[in-house]
Amino acid sequence: MELIQERPDNKNIFYPPGGLMIWIIILLELVTFGLGLIGFAYYGRMEPALFHESRLQLNIGLGTVNTVVLLVSGYMMASAVGCYRGGGKKRAIHFLKWTLLGGGIFICIKSFEYYEKFTSSIDMEDNMFFTFYWLLTGFHLVHVLVGMVILGWMLYKMRPVDTDISVDDLESGAAFWHMCDLIWLLLFPTLYLIF
Amino acid sequence: MKNQLLLTLTGLIGLTLLTGLVLIFEWSMFGLLAVFFMTVAGVKFYLVAFEFMELAKANRFWKVTLMAICFLILTVVSLLAI
Repeated sequence: MELIQERPDNKNIFYPPGGLMIWIIILLELVTFGLGLIGFAYYGRMEPALFHESRLQLNIGLGTVNTVVLLVSGYMMASAVGCYRGGGKKRAIHFLKWTLLGGGIFICIKSFEYYEKFTSSIDMEDNMFFTFYWLLTGFHLVHVLVGMVILGWMLYKMRPVDTDISVDDLESGAAFWHMCDLIWLLLFPTLYLIF
Repeated sequence: MKNQLLLTLTGLIGLTLLTGLVLIFEWSMFGLLAVFFMTVAGVKFYLVAFEFMELAKANRFWKVTLMAICFLILTVVSLLAI
């Protein structure tokens, strides 16, 4: 099946890479998380000692590893889109599998981190720091899960020889996945490093 | 294209490791360190958005809006953390 098709002009304001709807979602998500982070920093300014002590209970090593894992999976996703656009479906599938693996590793590491907190009896009601920690990281984790479902569905649709998805669909899925990267890049330093 | 992506990934991982190194050494001036961390986050955000997400190909409206939101979040959080 021919994959190369007429591409919309991405310089047109109504046709950003991935489509208009996903970009509206991305902006709304960034604003939502941004307000959460500003709220977190505001309360941190009110109670700096509490926030510093609480921050020290987070596992910065695991947070750093998770950052690298998400960045590598973002690279795999971008490579998958590049290959698929050029007609290299097999390589695109290969890269998509690595992207999903990256998402899976992120979830495993995050789950271990949550397990550590549970066994230390640190929950959402502990203090304001951990209320924000659980809400923001939990909400982000849900986005990673949703991204994996979207990419998994695309992989499922791409695998048979006689079926394909459009490049636009893959670009939309990729934009959603990169949004998870972008949000984590803001969450990680704010929650794990600055207080 | 592929080399460009790989170069971007190397830069991103380098910046992440640099953040870790700075934290390990626990250099003083913690308020300024917060600004450093948020600046590095801004650079990483830019690289992911423009190289991986292909924001560079999009209309100027999307570039300006996305980066303005990022700048606003990072600036306000940095100011509150100093």
